[in-house]
Amino acid sequence: MEQEKRDIWIFSEQPQLAFELLCKGGALSKELGSELVAFATTASCADDYIKRGADKVLLVNNPILAEFQVDTYTDALSALANEHKPEAILIGATRNGLELAPRLAERLKTGCVTEVTKIELDADKKFLLMDRVSMGGNLVETHISRSKPQIATVPKGLFSQNSPDTSRKGQIITAEPKIKPPATRLLEKKPKEAKGVKLSDASVIVSFGRGVRKKEDMAMVEKFAEAVGGVIGCSRPIAEDLGWLPEEQYIGLSGQKVNPKLYFACGISGQIQHLTGIRNSKVIVSINNDPKAPIFEFSDYGIVGDLYEILPNLTDAVKQLASN
Amino acid sequence: MVHTIVLVKQVLQTAELKIDKSSKSIVTQGVPRVISETDKNALEEAVRIKEKHGGKITVISMGSPEAKEALREALAMGADEAVLLTDSRFEGSDSHAVASVLAAAVTKILDYDLIICGAYSEDMFAFQVGSRLAEICNLPQFTYATKITMEGSKITVERDLENERQVVEGKLPCLVTVVREINEPRLPTLMAIMASSKKPTSTWSAEDLSLAESELGYNGSLNEILRSTVSSGERKRVIMQGEAKDVALKLTKALQQEGVLKVT
Repeated sequence: MEQEKRDIWIFSEQPQLAFELLCKGGALSKELGSELVAFATTASCADDYIKRGADKVLLVNNPILAEFQVDTYTDALSALANEHKPEAILIGATRNGLELAPRLAERLKTGCVTEVTKIELDADKKFLLMDRVSMGGNLVETHISRSKPQIATVPKGLFSQNSPDTSRKGQIITAEPKIKPPATRLLEKKPKEAKGVKLSDASVIVSFGRGVRKKEDMAMVEKFAEAVGGVIGCSRPIAEDLGWLPEEQYIGLSGQKVNPKLYFACGISGQIQHLTGIRNSKVIVSINNDPKAPIFEFSDYGIVGDLYEILPNLTDAVKQLASN
Repeated sequence: MVHTIVLVKQVLQTAELKIDKSSKSIVTQGVPRVISETDKNALEEAVRIKEKHGGKITVISMGSPEAKEALREALAMGADEAVLLTDSRFEGSDSHAVASVLAAAVTKILDYDLIICGAYSEDMFAFQVGSRLAEICNLPQFTYATKITMEGSKITVERDLENERQVVEGKLPCLVTVVREINEPRLPTLMAIMASSKKPTSTWSAEDLSLAESELGYNGSLNEILRSTVSSGERKRVIMQGEAKDVALKLTKALQQEGVLKVT
């Protein structure tokens, strides 16, 4: 019997996320003694992937793939996976990736774990242990797939990137999988307005919740954010129920997941939904007038007090520090 | 005339879940069961489509016998018929096994034009069932819909992605998943609630769907959960209290020592 190759494959339509997958995928393929293979649709991407750690790139240079569409990408990836039988496929958990992974998994009749929080090999290196949170963030489940390829989607920011190494050599294999014309037609694309620094890239985030009583009081939070060089975020009710900030600014399981160095939760009680979105923050500071608020359990520093007194004082303290 | 199938999941209201610290388990007792938010949006959208184009709405829920309550609510919101998929052998299903049961149900219903469901469920956030069901039924899929327009057999969907909005068109039959932004679900009137009890409701088990034992629940799943643990935050939990000014100074010092406060 031919020995199993057990290669790790990665795909994301977003290059930065693909680089993160290459870093993690490389660690896994090294443990397995197999190769790290990336899927690319352009030659320049293929080169970048090799610099970032891919041993091989499957390059499908078909104009039908110029725009991501779930049916064409499912065709391409399933055909290649059936031919090469990878051990696992890591897919970037963008909205596109989250749409693709289950459809691809269903076609390949295999399992899929979306939005993992951890991936590692089991002690015998037989299968991947894939963690994800469920029950509104209350549970961490460790999944395994009973069939191969094992498919997981990985959110942005979970893994780091290798810096590019221009001396790395890899193999680019041009492939021509059969792809049917898509059943849907993209008529129009409207980019969303960029609103300053994105939460997902921010190193300091100042977030607020219902403890801020009026929309006008957001100014107080903004002043503090400015003093600490932070980006403004909020809890789900602020964006979804009150509409004070756009939906892109709310942090939580169903919203943005962030990984700043410093996270301030101002007047946020700390529902699991919110906590799940901030779990990868390095230091969490919370301010709340309710000493029993669940947020304090999940904070490094908790201030019990009136937000309306604490925040202006904190703003002054930080400014004072800056002027010294 | 459009026959829409809406898929709704009954979930525990996750915001109400609490962790019992001594037993390290989730307390589900007394937690209300509700229709998952985005599925409610899916239902509302189906009702609006029916108001505009005529036709019929069949609502399906897979779950425990209690899911009948969710179906009753769906009927009150405007669905015409309800189907409950319930069988103790469905327990322990992963996304694939769930999609297989739903696929068997929609195949049995047969004459549908459109399937709508939420992009994700409020309890799991797996984003899987819609895509998997579309694949099994060999249907085109439109995900993360914020607007649906129809003209004859043509459907146009506006989609919400991270950095852009898209307008995509295709043909019926198809599957659409929606996000909360698409609409504001209505509250059923008292009259509608009363009338809902007279609308037809069926209950189907594995036999009614001609599904084999090997396709059901744990046996029919492609994923397996090895273990699940109550999530814990490992944080310092330093609590500060007192005069606002003192506390502010204490905190800024601590953060400076941590090396996370960049002062410019």
